[in-house]
Amino acid sequence: MSEFAHPEVLLSTDWVKEHLNDPNVKLIEIDVDTQAYDAGHIPGAVGFNWQTQLQQPVQRDIISKEEFEKLLSNSGVSRDDTVVLYGDNHNWFAAYGFWLFKIYGHPDVRLMDGGRQKWLDEEDKELVTEKPRVTPTDYRAADPDWTLRAFVPEVMEVSKKADKNLVDVRSPDEYSGKVIAPPGMTETAQRGGHIPGAKNIPWSSAVNKDGTFKPPEELKKLYFEEKGVDPSKSTVAYCRIGERSSHTWFVLKYLLGLNDVKNYDGSWTEYGNLIGAPIEKSA
Amino acid sequence: MSDSTGEMNATNQQTRVYEDVFEMLPSEENPSPMVRINRLNPAASFSLYAKLEWANPFGSVKDRAAWQMLQDLEGRGEINQDRGIVEPTSGNTGISLAALARARGYRLKAVVPNKVPKEKKLMLKIAGAELEVVSDELCPAPGLGDGSINLAKTYAKAQGDRYAMPNQYENYQNVAAHIQTTGPEIWRQTEGQISHLFVSLGTCGSVTGIAKFLREKKPSVKVIAIQPSEGHDIPGLRNLSQLEASKLFDRSLIDEILEIDFELAYKRALELCQTEGLLAGPSCGLILEGTRHVVERDQGGCGVMVFPDNIFKYTATMLKHLPELEEGTSV
Ligand SMILES: Cc1ncc(COP(=O)(O)O)c(C=O)c1O
Repeated sequence: MSEFAHPEVLLSTDWVKEHLNDPNVKLIEIDVDTQAYDAGHIPGAVGFNWQTQLQQPVQRDIISKEEFEKLLSNSGVSRDDTVVLYGDNHNWFAAYGFWLFKIYGHPDVRLMDGGRQKWLDEEDKELVTEKPRVTPTDYRAADPDWTLRAFVPEVMEVSKKADKNLVDVRSPDEYSGKVIAPPGMTETAQRGGHIPGAKNIPWSSAVNKDGTFKPPEELKKLYFEEKGVDPSKSTVAYCRIGERSSHTWFVLKYLLGLNDVKNYDGSWTEYGNLIGAPIEKSA
Repeated sequence: MSDSTGEMNATNQQTRVYEDVFEMLPSEENPSPMVRINRLNPAASFSLYAKLEWANPFGSVKDRAAWQMLQDLEGRGEINQDRGIVEPTSGNTGISLAALARARGYRLKAVVPNKVPKEKKLMLKIAGAELEVVSDELCPAPGLGDGSINLAKTYAKAQGDRYAMPNQYENYQNVAAHIQTTGPEIWRQTEGQISHLFVSLGTCGSVTGIAKFLREKKPSVKVIAIQPSEGHDIPGLRNLSQLEASKLFDRSLIDEILEIDFELAYKRALELCQTEGLLAGPSCGLILEGTRHVVERDQGGCGVMVFPDNIFKYTATMLKHLPELEEGTSV
């Protein structure tokens, strides 16, 4: 069996269990909010709220370098720690966190395969309600690495020139324009459809039923053979608000080892509302 | 009543006075009523009955599973003054469990999805549940875990000293309840004549339990499950694509699964109310619609529909699907 391109970034729940007392391993649960974390989390894990702690609503942007430094300092994380992320919804928000940690240059960040759900379903894995006692650090982040993030002008160019892979990871109904957002979601757009030239590869095609990532051969077959992603080209992935596309961004860049992969976190809630931006519908 | 009068209980319902609410729970000696369907039965040659589960003390078929699960936890010493119950439930099971638990002196935390209507949440609180509302699922996707089930599991795992989780989706007591009560009641009430059983699918406790019992007694009984079309919003029910969550689903016990356009559930429920005088809820409407297809096709037989609950909780849902109800409600 072939390996993932960067096998070290994906950890099993068993690995995490064995390293619960390792002082250089810092566990962080990232969920859309902290309800699940508060009810019970992996011993020693701190909890991040994606809605309120990882983005700045006023700017509509990811948190700034200073805010990232403050968040990690208050969470007791040091630059040389191994940071292990996991979360709800099949690790969507943990994958978003992974992307953010990479943007701010954290050297060793990893994802727990299967996320919160897998840990919950395994008999031998413990959950606790006590929050860990943290010793604040003086965390210093690197300047943001924007090669991991796509902005509108680049997306428009990719769409026009069709010289890169453009991957829409939303559900087929969102891609076709039949729905603008999954039912009940508040963040929507003026229009339904997709960015011209985008291929629809739903994020969920990358995972098994239990939420763990599919093995390397299956992922290669899916993205490269069946869906026509060209591994020699650069890639931009998007969804609706940038969390599902972080998941696919992780797959393409770290599991399959593509060189240049960007997450377009503005995604459909930005593009679908832009004046002068053409869309395609296939409904 | 005391054991010495137990014999009398079985026969003399005329003078029966219940000692407490627990005695009112359904059993072979105290069955939920069965009533013939007259005007909405499409074939006179087919005897069709509805078993009215809303006559149970807490208003639905879920009284059976809730009572069985609670007794099981009690019997095994799993619950006490300090260790209560946590359960993911959007309604009927929660109401039954809350009322039963509180009447016996235990706490119940009900974990419910946010999209559940306010009325139902309030009902749970009134019945004595502590509510924990889960933010709605972000993106319904194949295999994505159910938010309320997972949160309840988290409580049971992280705070095991405070909560036991019966888990109606996996607990065999939910099936056992129907093997011990609903099945034998139907058998006796039809005097073994039953040829068709019509049920809906939620946790699948009813279908699996009743089918198991009846199949033992009479292998020729046809078990017909009726499921709503995809995208439905019928409280308590699951479509086949959602049934993964239930470990109690046993396809081998079901002869046919009919899929019915869910909008028809509301229409048929209204018809039941207005022509049979049965104030039946939406899942009854769905069952009736599926049943009518089978009755028209098979013509002869003796069919029993298990009607899970009545319409009182669903006026708002009915209005949503039958907007013409609005007419004449204000000056
Ligand atoms: C209104 C209603 N109808 C039908 C059902 C289905 O019953 P069961 O869970 O036994 O499959 C339920 C319970 O889940 C219910 O609440």
